Amino acid sequence: MGVRDLVGRRFSAHAQTDVLSGRVRLGLFGAGVVAVLFAPVAQVVHPFWMDLVTHMFIFALFALSLDFVFGYAGLLSFGHAAMFGAGGYAAALLIQNVTASALLVLPAAIVVGAVVAAIIGWLSVSARGIYFAMLTLAFAQLFYTIAFNDIPAMLLGVEAVTNGDNGLVGITSLTLFGMDTGSLMSYYYLSLAILAGMLAVVTRLANSPFGRVLQAIRENEDRVAFIGYNVDRYKIVAFTISGAMAGLAGGLWVPFNSTATTSMLHWTTSGELIVMTLLGGMGTLWGPIAGAFLVVFLEDSLSAIGNWEIYLGIVYIVIVIFAPRGLAGIFQTVRKNPHPKVLLRRAGDALTTYREKVFQ
Amino acid sequence: MVFEGIAKTALLGFEMGMTLVLVTVGLTLIFGMMDVINFAHGSLYMLGAYFGLAVVGVTGNWWAALLVAPLLVGLLGGLIEYFSIRPLYGRNPLYHILLTFGFAIMLHGLVTEIWGGQVQNISTPAVLDGSVDLVLFSYPLFRLFVLGVSIAVTAALWLAIRQSDFGIVMRASAHDSEMVDALGTDVNRVFTAVFVLGAVLAGLAGVLLGTARAVDPGMAASVIIQAFAIVVIGGLGSYRGAVVGAFIVGMLNAFGPMFAPQFTDALLYLLMAAVLLVKPAGLFGNPEAT
Amino acid sequence: MGGGGGGSDSVKLGFVLPFSGTYSFLGESIVNGVKLRLDQQLDGEIDGRTVEYVRQDTGADPSTGASITQEFLQSENVDFIVGPVSSAVAGAMKPEIAGTGSAIWLNANAGNYKLVQDNCTKYHFRTSFNTWQTSAPLASFVKNNVSDNVVLSYANYTFGQQSKNLFREEFESIGGTVVSEIGAPLGTSDYSSFLQEIENSGADAVFSFFAGSDAVNYIKQFSSFGLNETMTQTGSGFLLSADTLQAQGKAALGMYSLLHYTPTKQSDRNQEFVDAYSGQFDATPNVYACQGYDSGLAAEMAVKEAGGTDADTMVDSLSGKELDSPRGYFKFRSSTHDPIMDMDIRQVVEANEGVRNEVVETLSKVEGPTWGCSL
Repeated sequence: MGVRDLVGRRFSAHAQTDVLSGRVRLGLFGAGVVAVLFAPVAQVVHPFWMDLVTHMFIFALFALSLDFVFGYAGLLSFGHAAMFGAGGYAAALLIQNVTASALLVLPAAIVVGAVVAAIIGWLSVSARGIYFAMLTLAFAQLFYTIAFNDIPAMLLGVEAVTNGDNGLVGITSLTLFGMDTGSLMSYYYLSLAILAGMLAVVTRLANSPFGRVLQAIRENEDRVAFIGYNVDRYKIVAFTISGAMAGLAGGLWVPFNSTATTSMLHWTTSGELIVMTLLGGMGTLWGPIAGAFLVVFLEDSLSAIGNWEIYLGIVYIVIVIFAPRGLAGIFQTVRKNPHPKVLLRRAGDALTTYREKVFQ
Repeated sequence: MVFEGIAKTALLGFEMGMTLVLVTVGLTLIFGMMDVINFAHGSLYMLGAYFGLAVVGVTGNWWAALLVAPLLVGLLGGLIEYFSIRPLYGRNPLYHILLTFGFAIMLHGLVTEIWGGQVQNISTPAVLDGSVDLVLFSYPLFRLFVLGVSIAVTAALWLAIRQSDFGIVMRASAHDSEMVDALGTDVNRVFTAVFVLGAVLAGLAGVLLGTARAVDPGMAASVIIQAFAIVVIGGLGSYRGAVVGAFIVGMLNAFGPMFAPQFTDALLYLLMAAVLLVKPAGLFGNPEAT
Repeated sequence: MGGGGGGSDSVKLGFVLPFSGTYSFLGESIVNGVKLRLDQQLDGEIDGRTVEYVRQDTGADPSTGASITQEFLQSENVDFIVGPVSSAVAGAMKPEIAGTGSAIWLNANAGNYKLVQDNCTKYHFRTSFNTWQTSAPLASFVKNNVSDNVVLSYANYTFGQQSKNLFREEFESIGGTVVSEIGAPLGTSDYSSFLQEIENSGADAVFSFFAGSDAVNYIKQFSSFGLNETMTQTGSGFLLSADTLQAQGKAALGMYSLLHYTPTKQSDRNQEFVDAYSGQFDATPNVYACQGYDSGLAAEMAVKEAGGTDADTMVDSLSGKELDSPRGYFKFRSSTHDPIMDMDIRQVVEANEGVRNEVVETLSKVEGPTWGCSL
């Protein structure tokens, strides 16, 4: 029995065996067209919308990286901030000291993210489930304290490497083929292109035999090991790929934001990433992207209000109780039942289920 | 001089460890039984301190706060479990992360809204002010009181889990909740009770430590990671593990500053990673449980 | 972009401050101070121009601070940036403000002296203080009145390190001895074993930098372990400031600190400010409120003197000028745009309800180094 049979049977219950079905791809294509056309409109109406949406793109890429390892291989990483930050700091140091060329900085961020992930992954795979999450959390927090106390500077005997809690600031934007990407619009398109490209790569990977093995590991890793796969190696490779993407997101974030700071490495960044992924709908690839969009949007629009966390928290609570599969779930329900009446009934059903579960 | 120093530091470590047991026990019991990772546990601890502050403000009596505030936190914990965690049983336990993360964020904002971000403190009751001469060194009376309460609660809980009927049901539910359900015990009620118990203990720790320390909205975040570290070191779901883990972390907190004052928090994560690398399910955890 | 605000008849201020979490209290105090001057005392108008505000929450995150600043400068066209609280946030904001050059930055709390040292920008006006001012000048007081040997304890992050280094330099240069130094991680909640190290150092006095909840934890525990009986605690003013002092309570009695604003300071100007502030907000002003108020004064002066909101003209109308600050003497130093101001050495004494700071000595017109900045 091959792994394909195993997964095939597992997944035959769901109508689709392909990650991102044709209709979803069509939808994504439409969203891409909208995204491409959005910038010129924003330029006229309110240029800072591009800033917000670029912010969304970068975190969407970050969320995509987690979904690949979490949604597909079932590895809940609570330490993705480590790779995000490592890639970010690498980009900042390169831009400050060597070059701002995107063709050098972004690949470097990818490599640094991958190396950090390979080390953390290699050390952590023997732990399962929540323990894996906690081990990755511990490693990420180690990175945080290393950056916060600027231990590299102490070891190298120089004044500053990570520059402690002040972080690295005033990072200039990337250059691409000699052009400056500093304007809102050029960075918008750069981020959009990278996000789209990485989505394509991840979709291919998820649909490849490698991706099938990962899904099988998620479903039942003992059986996959039993048919002769080296489960740990698959997990490490998946984690490394995911880390490379997180590093890329960090490398893209730093020039955009002009700072590399310890908050990139803090556990709350990892936590926020998990929230984005679950809120969007894990294992769907496009869901976490939508989740990242929603979280960034909410944080931005609420933050002018005092103690806005109250409302953000309530949104999370309500969504997780009534829309457990996140935005992806809501979308699927709406697509299957396009009539408003049916939708209302579904909403009623959800309330009834809630009541039954609470007052059973 | 050296011996006195070490003895005092050891007592400090023991005390810090025992107080951490109060904060952590709820987290580990809840996880052990329901697979719920409760991110809002630190917030319950924080609420204990703020409710304590409020009760002292109204009654002027610290002892009333010590009694009432944990019960209020327990009540709130019960409501949270009943109305939001319960509907999620049977789903992927990961959703509890999102849910309790939401609560942690919301409560952080809510506490700042109600009590302001200003640092506050519950004043120590007069009877517990001052210090005690312990032959080798003197020690603050209030800290000894906290230590005493922590030991008493830890021991009582230990006995309860080992001996009482409820403890047996609890352990059985953790082991196989469907079986317990089939035998006619309402597992959901057991879950609620355990959640309330954990919340009460966190609230109790909140009042005690809110008196010894600062009360501010940041206290939830600063305790939750330490509590996670303890639970993971000890092994998720193991009561003994939580106690041992808290003891180890307490000692680390106490002796760490002697050698590397700037890196005590790095030591915590190193220790956590080291334990998990050697024992991937913590010291007393069940490797099959997850 | 040259100068120019939202409209020719308005003055726009952008608050880049924490409005959530631990520092939100500081952010709100600064806003209150600004509004007391501009909204209450000037009826929301400077020189016939309506005052407008925009605000966004930085938390304590430098990258958020940088992006808010970008947005305020480029999209909101603010004339003034007021904030931030955290020095790390300020470091991230500086390149944005210096690069755009379209607004005056009224730095209402971030004290990091390196903001002036590395590429100082003329748009930066500190309505607050710099790290040197709140640490080094205390050295001679400690040496002459308290002890010639100290142990340093500090929160181990940039601000704490700067404060203890600057104090150490000054203390040693006047012949004092620093016995040892103990850094505790930022956000430590139990200081007991650090306190033991402090006790073991055998010094007669301690100089510390801690702020916020760290300051409360540290001071409470310092006294509960009886260290206050054998050592004299001194420190940068944030160790014992109005926002933490009530929580520290009697544990803080007898301790010395150095700060540029003390609400109980006896002066007509201060009394007038305290009355106005407590009448409006039902609270005693703290140092942050004073810094906010002075930011309001600075904005008022800049617009009036410049006769408009052109940033470069406003720079000239503030540089080297004095403000009528409640804190006492205040002048923007021409070379750095840091304040030259009076600093109070205070001691914590008993008061009707709890404790308060009493000014024991005022150091007048404290300047400090220019760190190579010459604007």
